[in-house]
Amino acid sequence: MAEREPTGGRAGTAGEAPVVLEMRGITKTFGAVRANDGISISLRRGEVLGILGENGAGKSTLMKILYGLYSPDAGEIFLDGERAEIKDPKDAVERGIGMVHQHFTLIPPLTVAENIVLGAEPRRGLAVDLQRAVRETGELCERYGLRVDPRARVADLSVGEQQRVEILKALYREARILVLDEPTAVLTPQETEDLFSTLKELVASGLSIILITHKLGELLGVSDRITIIRDGRVVDTVPAARTDERELARLMVGREVLLRVEKEEAEPGGVRLQAEGLVVRSSRGTVAVRGVSLEVRGGEILGIAGVDGNGQTELAEALAGTRPAEGGAVRLDGEDVTRLGAKARKRRGLAYVPEDRMAKGLVPDFALYENHALKTYDEPPYASRWGWLRPAAMRRRAAEALRAFDVRPPDPDLPARSLSGGNQQKAILARELSGDPGVIIAYQPTRGVDVGAIEFIHGQLLRQRGEGKAILLISLELEEVRSLSDRILVLCDGRIVGEVGPEATDEELGLLMAGRAG
Amino acid sequence: MSAGRGGLSSALQAALGRAAGALVFPLVAIALALAVGAVIVLATGNNPLAAYRALAVGAVGSPAAIGRTLLNATPLIFTGLAVAVAFRAGLFNIGGEGQLYIGAITAAILGVSLGFLGPLAIPVVLLACLLTGFLWGAIPGLLKARFGAHEVITTIMLNFVAINLATYLALKPFRTEGLVPGTDFIDAAARIPTIGLGLGRANYGLFVALVAAAAVYLLLWRTTLGFRLRAVGLSPGAANYAGMSIGTSTVLALAIGGAMAGLGGGVEVMGVYGKMSIPFVSNLGFNGIGVALLGRNHPAGVVLGALLFGGLASGAQELQFETDVPLDLADVLLAIILLLVTATRLVELIFGKRVREMASGTRLDEGLAS
Amino acid sequence: MEELLGGLSPLLASMVRNATPLVFAALGGMFSERSGVVNIGLEGLMLISAFAGVAGAFYSGSAWVGLLFALGAGLGFALIHALMSITFEADQIISGTAINLLALGGTGFLMELVFGRSGTSPRVQGFEPVAIPILSEIPVVGRAFFDQSLLVYLMYAMVPLTYLLVFRTPFGLRLRGTGEAPEAVDTAGVSVARMRYYGVALSGLLAALGGVYLSMGILSAFTEGMTNGRGFIALAALIFGRWNPVGAAGAAFLFGLAQAFIFQAPQDVIPLEFLQMIPYVLTIVVLAGFGGRAVAPAAIGKPYRKE
Repeated sequence: MAEREPTGGRAGTAGEAPVVLEMRGITKTFGAVRANDGISISLRRGEVLGILGENGAGKSTLMKILYGLYSPDAGEIFLDGERAEIKDPKDAVERGIGMVHQHFTLIPPLTVAENIVLGAEPRRGLAVDLQRAVRETGELCERYGLRVDPRARVADLSVGEQQRVEILKALYREARILVLDEPTAVLTPQETEDLFSTLKELVASGLSIILITHKLGELLGVSDRITIIRDGRVVDTVPAARTDERELARLMVGREVLLRVEKEEAEPGGVRLQAEGLVVRSSRGTVAVRGVSLEVRGGEILGIAGVDGNGQTELAEALAGTRPAEGGAVRLDGEDVTRLGAKARKRRGLAYVPEDRMAKGLVPDFALYENHALKTYDEPPYASRWGWLRPAAMRRRAAEALRAFDVRPPDPDLPARSLSGGNQQKAILARELSGDPGVIIAYQPTRGVDVGAIEFIHGQLLRQRGEGKAILLISLELEEVRSLSDRILVLCDGRIVGEVGPEATDEELGLLMAGRAG
Repeated sequence: MSAGRGGLSSALQAALGRAAGALVFPLVAIALALAVGAVIVLATGNNPLAAYRALAVGAVGSPAAIGRTLLNATPLIFTGLAVAVAFRAGLFNIGGEGQLYIGAITAAILGVSLGFLGPLAIPVVLLACLLTGFLWGAIPGLLKARFGAHEVITTIMLNFVAINLATYLALKPFRTEGLVPGTDFIDAAARIPTIGLGLGRANYGLFVALVAAAAVYLLLWRTTLGFRLRAVGLSPGAANYAGMSIGTSTVLALAIGGAMAGLGGGVEVMGVYGKMSIPFVSNLGFNGIGVALLGRNHPAGVVLGALLFGGLASGAQELQFETDVPLDLADVLLAIILLLVTATRLVELIFGKRVREMASGTRLDEGLAS
Repeated sequence: MEELLGGLSPLLASMVRNATPLVFAALGGMFSERSGVVNIGLEGLMLISAFAGVAGAFYSGSAWVGLLFALGAGLGFALIHALMSITFEADQIISGTAINLLALGGTGFLMELVFGRSGTSPRVQGFEPVAIPILSEIPVVGRAFFDQSLLVYLMYAMVPLTYLLVFRTPFGLRLRGTGEAPEAVDTAGVSVARMRYYGVALSGLLAALGGVYLSMGILSAFTEGMTNGRGFIALAALIFGRWNPVGAAGAAFLFGLAQAFIFQAPQDVIPLEFLQMIPYVLTIVVLAGFGGRAVAPAAIGKPYRKE
């Protein structure tokens, strides 16, 4: 895809300004995955370049290469026209590249000034010259229009303020190129506006900015040009003035359809799983699910689409019973199970395939037969009344189930750790579906799984649907949600922001997921 | 792969493979420790070969030596089990010493008064030691489950409390009129007989220890409780997902560990000393940690490790006899083994990553304030 | 009133003597833990240093040479812990336990070798009490606080010194960062491993001072196992004091006071053994009450591997 030269873009000067950064033909492979495939981008002085792409498109790998955390397998980087090899983050910083990470690298108990100067502290004799640090921080705030109290503890700051500290860290070290990775993922709309006016100030002072995000609406408001990355490749680079949200959504999300699954018409029965006004907190204490209500009928697959981090985990766990709900109710076949734990819900026919098979779905060092009995080990036929285990029975059942679910190798004595991701996932499925559950919650069921296993797992879910089970599918893979679901709800910022059918267009979905009403 | 074979033989295969892999690391650690020990011996102006020969003779060179080894190994099996059970649930039980003292004083007191039970005396008293040890071990378990107090410090503190408590009981209310400070001799009915066969003071307490090891094995791999403990120890995330209670497992793991050490204390009194004199044994609890780690926290490994440690301690006596290398060399060697056994990255650096994966034991990555 | 005040001074003096090793060890523990490395080997570090100090004084006839030996021993053992925990990523609690065992066995071993006996070493030149003029004349508290061994005065100085070091210097800033958020420090170009080595090394040196005081500031001799759990009590003082030098020192003095009471309390009413339990029970109560969870350096106990 050729890069269209920007003519008469925003701010007039961007077109004639020198190129401060160029990344040419960057390729990076991790094992079987090609994260970056010949990516080329260029950044001019005083420009805001947006890099748009879905989760897993390859954006963060590219930026980690720029920041010296990875070295590219192929391709080159040019800074101010000169070839540069960035050895490590320290090197990147010395070359004037500053990075504001998506997950802040701040030290919560320390103050703003301390965080900013750490590693490059102004001294007075043997001590840190805290006064000078505070003063210099204040000066930076003035110069760039950032408002933050240098003496405040980082832990006490709002997320928006913490982000400003991250920016100040880069400015303190005289960055000329500032890279912001998903900066608005954690900000409120107001904080986002503040951030963008800050960026405009920075650019006016001569900085060049790269903005990485999946939120296309925001990009239009602040970037000069936008480069769209999909599946490790650059799709196109367009001037912001000459495009709109629909086109961006299409470029970002649309792809050749990999898996079109054949499915029959849905014949939904009664409501089997219900959530009413569910409110759930995340492990960090913030409210992640803000009053979600939904219904899943027998014989249908309800898909939940959304960008990562919008409450999916908390929703799934509250429905499954592994996380308490702060408010609202969960009903299984009409019964209120809100106060019941995971085991009790399992006994009432709820199956749950979690998103993290290594940390939640399986005990990696347990054998497959032990994992198969993870929720049923204390029930007959696996255990007697006195608590005596029957491993032979466990092995038998596991062996049957493993074969039925195409787990390779179907050896019940192998430790779960030794299987490939796809087989581990199938083993989890074997466990969850063996008990003939009435309701199935599947959260990212094919994450990190090979194509063959994906097909198998999808087939299994559809079969359950055909048998009249109610299935809730939560996935970050839009294609998966679209091809399997009968109905789709979009989760954004802890709320259901819309319901669409599987025939909905990419634009519609993309807009809903990005928080813009369709 | 082995899809054609019957279930049992592939399970056996897997188990044997795991056992072989598990042995590699401890053997390496022992070998390295012996090498360091040789250097130390050399530094004291002695001949390492002569020293190690004396160690070997002292450990297994005669029936008397073997008897001493078995005698030393017996309490270490108990304290090793005390540590191993807790480790399997992801917890550090450093309280073996105190739990042993609690069991010992229980036996010393009840052994005096329950003699009238005749043949039932031994089982009843042992059961009592099991129980008091269980309760003592439950304390740090509850403190952790309820208050988040880290079990490393609480178990160590309780060691001192237990030792003081037992000492008080032995020196005041239950003091003997005899010359040696401590309790009275327990009734003959409560004494565990020696094995004889020229094995010195080695007694049937050894069999109690072996039975305990077998029981721990059955508990961990054949009961629902053991299943839960292992799941919690290996992956608390998955255990939570499966609806298991982590708090309950915490309390039970430490309590069972305490029971094992308590039983060990009882056996020491009933089989070896016949009373609890002050000062009583020392370091059995801490050496139990080394035994457990060397034995990869598996009952069979604990038995083997205890035999090794017991042999080393027995050999050290001979060592002191024949050379002028101090007795404590054994303790030093054990500490070095412990250090090396835990440095899994060292193994990785020497042997590569695969061996490290084979060698790594239970989940051991929490800090003090977790 | 006279009698009460008369009894107060020896009590306070005893408190100071008991607290000194605890303060040193707690401060040492602070450096290690603030860098993110759990150090339960403080007990062993104190013990080996206590021995080394006496051995050094025995050979040279000078207490100061003994001090040097002690510092060397403490540093050496601490570096073993550092090597195991940081470079070889061993479990830090096991490594610390191994250090304790090594010190226990090692001191017994060396006792035989150096002094040819077990139990208690011969008396050596120690750090006798030196009264500070004027200050030691103050009624009641003067004798207690200012007629003590030089090491005690060193301890007084250590508290503000460590405070300044941790909270006012670049080193301290980076140390604190390493224990809370090693990724942040790493991306700022500071070596996490190096900071942690420093932290553990300092813990060895400070614990050594505590050990030396134990053997040479009071008894002027070494007895096997003389630390008697003080290393762990120091750890509890550290937790109680929120990993802050002043707080830890304050907590250590509290424990010291409790220990002082043991000897003052009437033994016919409360048996000696129960009195001896008090510091340990107190530690448990403190831990249960404060959990130690929320306030510990956030990254403690986990090996740090660069991406």
